Amino acid sequence: MSAASPILRMRDVRYRYPGASQDALAGVSLTVGPGEFHAVLGPNGSGKTTLVRLALGALIPAGGTSEILERPARAWPRQELARVVGVVPQREDNLFPQRVRETVLLGRYPHLSLWGKERPEDHAAIERALAACDATQLADRWVWTLSGGEYQRVRVARALAQEPRLLVLDEPAVSLDLRHEMALFELVRGLVDRVGLGVLMITHDLNLAARYADTVLLLSEGRPVAAGAPADVLTRETVERVFSWPVTMQSVDGRPQMVPLRQPKEPVA
Amino acid sequence: MRRLLLWSLLLVACRPSGRPAAGPALTDAAGRTVPLAPPARRIVSLLPSFTEILFAIGAGDHLVGRTAWCDYPPAARAVPSVGDGMPPNVEAVAARKPDLVVLYHSGPNVTAAGQLARLGIPGVLLDLNRLEDLAPAARALGRLTGREAAAESLAAAMDSLAARPPPPPFTSIVFVVWDNPPIIIGRGSYLHQLAALAGARNVFDDVTVPSAQVSLETIAARNPEWVAVLSDSAAPPAFAARREWRAVRAVRDRRFLLLAGSLFGRPGPRSSQAVAELRARLEGRGVAPR
Amino acid sequence: MRWMLLGTVAVLALLASVVLGPAAVPLSELGRSDIVWNLRAPRAVLAFLVGGSLGVAGAGLQALVRNPLADPFLLGLSGGAGLGAVIALALHLTGPWVLPLAAFAGALAALGLVYRMGLVGGAALDPRILLLGGVAVGAFAAAITTAIVSLADAAELRNAFLWLWGGLSAASWDSVLLLVLYAPVPLAVLLAAARPLDLLALGEEPARYLGADVEAVKRRVYLAASLLTAAAVAVSGVIGFVGLVVPHIARLAWGHRHRSLLPAAFIGGGALLAIADTLARTVVAPRELPVGVVTALIGVPVFALLLRRWTIA
Repeated sequence: MSAASPILRMRDVRYRYPGASQDALAGVSLTVGPGEFHAVLGPNGSGKTTLVRLALGALIPAGGTSEILERPARAWPRQELARVVGVVPQREDNLFPQRVRETVLLGRYPHLSLWGKERPEDHAAIERALAACDATQLADRWVWTLSGGEYQRVRVARALAQEPRLLVLDEPAVSLDLRHEMALFELVRGLVDRVGLGVLMITHDLNLAARYADTVLLLSEGRPVAAGAPADVLTRETVERVFSWPVTMQSVDGRPQMVPLRQPKEPVA
Repeated sequence: MRRLLLWSLLLVACRPSGRPAAGPALTDAAGRTVPLAPPARRIVSLLPSFTEILFAIGAGDHLVGRTAWCDYPPAARAVPSVGDGMPPNVEAVAARKPDLVVLYHSGPNVTAAGQLARLGIPGVLLDLNRLEDLAPAARALGRLTGREAAAESLAAAMDSLAARPPPPPFTSIVFVVWDNPPIIIGRGSYLHQLAALAGARNVFDDVTVPSAQVSLETIAARNPEWVAVLSDSAAPPAFAARREWRAVRAVRDRRFLLLAGSLFGRPGPRSSQAVAELRARLEGRGVAPR
Repeated sequence: MRWMLLGTVAVLALLASVVLGPAAVPLSELGRSDIVWNLRAPRAVLAFLVGGSLGVAGAGLQALVRNPLADPFLLGLSGGAGLGAVIALALHLTGPWVLPLAAFAGALAALGLVYRMGLVGGAALDPRILLLGGVAVGAFAAAITTAIVSLADAAELRNAFLWLWGGLSAASWDSVLLLVLYAPVPLAVLLAAARPLDLLALGEEPARYLGADVEAVKRRVYLAASLLTAAAVAVSGVIGFVGLVVPHIARLAWGHRHRSLLPAAFIGGGALLAIADTLARTVVAPRELPVGVVTALIGVPVFALLLRRWTIA
């Protein structure tokens, strides 16, 4: 499976927002293949969300290339791209009250023709997505009555209903409590292992990324600091440098886990 | 409390009234009193009807201001205009240094008269909506200008016109003020009186107000013989060419009465002339529109 | 079931507006009456088309500007139409179609101006700016209109305001034909945007990732809804509340999916305006109420109820 061609491939990508004095992102390369869980880590403002926009063709790189299935991301018609890549964006809000099944149905839109009604296979895909996210019992609830954790599961279900080959999640665990946070990462890891989904996850939660991801990319001020297996990237020196805070590293299940220390003894370079 | 009383006394004492309130006075339509002596010699008229009346009673020489609409008699045009008078431009009126301003009795004009009073300029508000308002207006203007005799003979003529029993109608008419939405003249209007005296039945005589919006189909169903519009142009109104108006038979048959606003649009000394001319037009005499 | 009910209401509304009127026409003569055939029937059809167009335009604009309280006339078009009509009158242009054409041209000018303002940085259409720019352009046009009216000496200019609120008095088979030829294109554009409009309710970025070509959709929806509104104002003046209230009523019964919401708003808007116009023509006969008064009398209470729902939810 790992021998298959990558779904997402970014090579030496550079981007600068109009009017900005320096690049928001530069020198970034990464690939995500089927059955791979790739996490992008970094402090606030390190260029993580810019990276997602470049990966999905919402921004045009000023240098380098960003390709999905060997076609420039920007060249994809949005509807076609939405059949290959499902996204759980950081923010969204519902203008009108909606039920869970209705919002998951939106994930089927990339597969529907202009006027065509949903077909039986669309409804089947919705039920599969709800089941995969353990959200079947939520199907008839109003979205605005869901807890934060339930809502994230529903949003992942909507992205799964797109039947994508790549799932992109932007800070999915923000504001979730421990149980829901862990459940979400278990769910995503399970999808990677069971159905061979490729996953690109943006997060600033080092420990969870280290536990679940196959490879991580650590960004700092728009530049890649290190990339590779979590154990190789997340060393004490690197983490302290990037996050400007003293830490100590431990190991759980063979994965590095970071514990921040109290009160810096002296400024870290 | 005492202070309040003092203040109000002071206010009353200081109330500008132009001339002292002693002597004979006239109470106008708004309930305000206007002193009669001495007779007004610098008059601003803010309604074409008043201008015509003032000329008719021989007080035209005393006019020092008029509205842009005051076009009759021709001598009126020589008087400086103070604008369209809707609402009055108080500064332009005051600049004429009048000793009397004659205003049509309406809400904005009550405000304007109050402003003029604060400048020490007396104003008189008179009703002039229908034929029966003409005689009282003529008498009031006669008293204010010291031309009671001339005013009385005009007033008598106006009274007899207003009291004249309408002849039996021999035709029917609708006055169209505006075409979209259709607005017509009802019983409360001067034009309705003109039509009745000229022998035409206003098909909207059941509408009591001066004017009202109606449906085109009501006009079509009431089927007047004539469609009258106030217009200084000889060309039929623009709505004559609109398809929906062709449901009205008189429009289809192009039976339009184009009535010049100066003669027909206002009650005044020429009202009996307007009645006669309308009658002639309805009977197919007189100047037919092209 | 819902569709049957709505269809029945629409048919009854159309029937009522043909059968009822201030002039007494015996039922047996309905088919032959000139009044019914040349006045009531075109007026009923025009009311239905205008009401339907405003309903669809309102539903589309509410989703576009992400404001459930948006009305098609909020975007400056009525101000532009009024200005166009007044300029035509001031220039003494005459002819049966001068005022509708001038109003249409004025509405188009306002549309272009608002659209240009909404194109932030020359590329992306910002719906919030459309809303604010629409209000500003409308107020500006109204100010110029008032200036022209108060400076010009032609008394008929004052009637331009009457014309703008004239309602359906000018209905004829000609105006029906114009709308029948004109409206299908913008209506089809809006209907074709039904799915992206559903997605847009989530916000622009999520909509993009769910396959919507967001920028194209925003432009198409704004232009199509505004072109519908401009045509409505040209044939029937400003008729408020239909475009505001009808989409909400349709949402209550059909939910938020524009694929069914837009057709429901069309039929519902058409039925509502046909009923309102029938009431306007008949309740105070032989006089007539401005139809905007009737739509406001129906619309404001409904609107107040909806406002409560929105603030509670």
